[in-house]
Amino acid sequence: MSSIKPKVSIHKFSSCDGCQLAFLNMGEALLELASQVEILHFAEAGPLSENASVDIAIVEGSIATRHDLQRIQAIRANSAYLITIGACATAGGIQALRNMADTQQWIEGIYAQPEYIDSLDNSEPISSHVKVDLELWGCPINSRQIVVALRDLLFRVTPKPERDKLCLECKRQQQVCVMITRGEPCMGSVTQNGCGALCPSIGRACYACYGPAEDANSQALANRLEGLGLVDKQIAQKFLFINSAAEPFQNTGKARLK
Amino acid sequence: MNSKTININVPVLARVEGEGALELSIEEGKITDLKLRIYEPPRYFEKFLQGRSYQDLPDTVARICGICPVAYQMSAVHAVESIFQTKTTPWIRALRRVFYCGEWIQSHALHIHMLAAPDFLGCQSIIELAQHHDEAVRRGLRLQTLGNELIEMLGARSVHPVGAKVGGFFHAPSEQQAIEMVAKLEQGWHDSEALILWLNTLELPDDIQQFTCVALRHADEYPMNEGRIVSDQGLDISIEQYQQHFKEHHAPHSTALHALLDGKPYLLGPLARLNLNHDQLTDEVLAPLAQTRYRFPSYNMYHSIIARAVEIRFAIGEALAILRAYQVPEKPDVEVEPQAGIGYGCSEAPRGLLWHRYEVDQQGEIINAVIIPPTSQNQARIEQDVARSLEKYGLDHNENQLRFYAERVVRNYDPCISCATHFLTLKVNRDNQASNATPLNIEQETLLLAIGSPFGADQTAWLVAEQLHTTPGVTLAYSNNPLAQLKPLLETAKRIVLLDAIISDQPLGQLLALSADQLTSSSKQISSHGLGPLELLALIQQLKADSKNTQLLGISIGDGSHPLTDTQIQNSAQTLQQKLLTHLP
Repeated sequence: MSSIKPKVSIHKFSSCDGCQLAFLNMGEALLELASQVEILHFAEAGPLSENASVDIAIVEGSIATRHDLQRIQAIRANSAYLITIGACATAGGIQALRNMADTQQWIEGIYAQPEYIDSLDNSEPISSHVKVDLELWGCPINSRQIVVALRDLLFRVTPKPERDKLCLECKRQQQVCVMITRGEPCMGSVTQNGCGALCPSIGRACYACYGPAEDANSQALANRLEGLGLVDKQIAQKFLFINSAAEPFQNTGKARLK
Repeated sequence: MNSKTININVPVLARVEGEGALELSIEEGKITDLKLRIYEPPRYFEKFLQGRSYQDLPDTVARICGICPVAYQMSAVHAVESIFQTKTTPWIRALRRVFYCGEWIQSHALHIHMLAAPDFLGCQSIIELAQHHDEAVRRGLRLQTLGNELIEMLGARSVHPVGAKVGGFFHAPSEQQAIEMVAKLEQGWHDSEALILWLNTLELPDDIQQFTCVALRHADEYPMNEGRIVSDQGLDISIEQYQQHFKEHHAPHSTALHALLDGKPYLLGPLARLNLNHDQLTDEVLAPLAQTRYRFPSYNMYHSIIARAVEIRFAIGEALAILRAYQVPEKPDVEVEPQAGIGYGCSEAPRGLLWHRYEVDQQGEIINAVIIPPTSQNQARIEQDVARSLEKYGLDHNENQLRFYAERVVRNYDPCISCATHFLTLKVNRDNQASNATPLNIEQETLLLAIGSPFGADQTAWLVAEQLHTTPGVTLAYSNNPLAQLKPLLETAKRIVLLDAIISDQPLGQLLALSADQLTSSSKQISSHGLGPLELLALIQQLKADSKNTQLLGISIGDGSHPLTDTQIQNSAQTLQQKLLTHLP
């Protein structure tokens, strides 16, 4: 490894700030991280240099305004490697639920002066606008995911995204399956792992906050949910939630809305 | 201010945590306009909720804020339980307090160490702070981790936890988990004392002011999930009566909705809470405070950081008391029977009162939701305080000094745009900017002369031009600059661009190349104390033998009834900049 520390920037778009907490909640590891990379821009933590050229740009949040479009182009142009963190940046996030609605009508229903609101019709993932080198899924991502990715890059290894299904993690932990034993509408069989099977570990059904797994057979799960007694609207809402704009959740969900 | 009251029964969506900036106008040594701007794009949570089951509510509202998801979950489940008339158990009530304690501890520890303390110790960030105050920073990170672990014990993770539901919790921690947590809390109890004593070494400004404090108040305890809404001015209402006293307005510079109490700004959050509830704290919690120079109630906003530390100590003590007596219950939840109705939930988020109102049908499907977060309620108070503080500080300080001073005031409130207030964009508009702020360069390449008046859409050209104040080779001048100042500029400029707002049916903010006769229509709107476009054009022709390098540009303002939005201004400015840097038109 060279003695020059890689330069990193962390940017925020439309989001809840929760994925940036994967850094701020690291505890003392945050100080260690700061000794290994040079953080040039991270508004929530202090450093400010939005337009700095960096080796790694880390992006939270979805593209939701015209101003966002300009910012993301500049960030891409200024970075060698771009990582999206979380459901918003990677799949449009929960706010992508608006993509299925007439946003202008919503704005008019909410704001007294709708002409002042800069809002695109859709909330879109970063990859709809620029090339993304690594996507870290999850709502929110956790510190382990970001540390693994940065560790890989520091060792000059290409990070390998995890797209395994949650069911595998559940089995490894020897959790009792909530769907088989209790008929819970668990999304684990189509959802990618990364959280550590948190919901099944406390006895509740997975709600797919980590997005679709590799080769997710969401159609089959939709049929199974029907077998458990869910009506079409309920099935649609299971798929159209935190990652509603991600395939194949979107297709499966929308098909049940008809 | 150009704002109007909106009916609160219309689903109101006011996500505020996010990007912010401060805009300030100073004229003749006085602040004429000050806006805390919140640009965070709207995320429409109240709309997403319509048609979804009450069961989706905790997971949905958590996503409004990654820093205080527990608060959103708690206000929501209490509102729904009040509709369903759900009777929860004492175990659920106590463990919800523990859950909330975790969030207060982590959020306050984050704010004290990562956002606020660097201000008072001359550092830019916690990383820099750690180089000089290693022990204090490590203690702070330890406390933050303790808060997170408390949330994780009940919610499996600390950001968007998954353990809470309408009717209780999905699981109960084991007795072993509780024992281990008690040991960590005991360490935290010592840390909290050291934290308060460390904060006593900071030099906090002595700055008493008048403001109204609002918080929940409960007869028997320091408030979290329950209580009446009270103020230090005698307000004492149930949470259901909130809308009769608090009204939201949409200010044009913000995607957050401002709230006012009986038409006036008010303060929420740790300082307001402590001022109104300090008598509910035990001697053990208050003991370290007694060794400091700080006393509550306090009307010094800089004492917010102390209030946060006191609340950390309270929350650790509260969680300790509950977990020392912990027993695994038979069930961590109670049965829930949906029924139709309207219900309210109000809890004390780390930043203050978080008020929810829901209407559901008999299946428990949400018909309507209203969520009013603390930061939008504090916004008017922040603007009031920043204006007062800057005037007291002295407006003749340079922009960096003003920016730092304003940022520090804003951070006292820990708005959930703290992230953004760390890079607060301070825009100072001084009336004499062209003459004083930047020395005029007589050899300039291009003179951009913006025509307008300070009113409504007529200030568009000024606003657009202002965005270009750092553009190389471009000198700015305004139509209200004294003639004596304009004349040498006009005489020597190699290229002159006149910029004016134009009534047109083109999209708002569009730049239009104009000829002299097109200017006639708008000249009527020009203010009496400035020169109109025709006068300026005549002046240029008089001053310069060769006036062919003078160009006229219009900015479409539609029918002129509304000022342009910031984005439209910025877009126009960008197009203009490109034109100026390349070749017109």
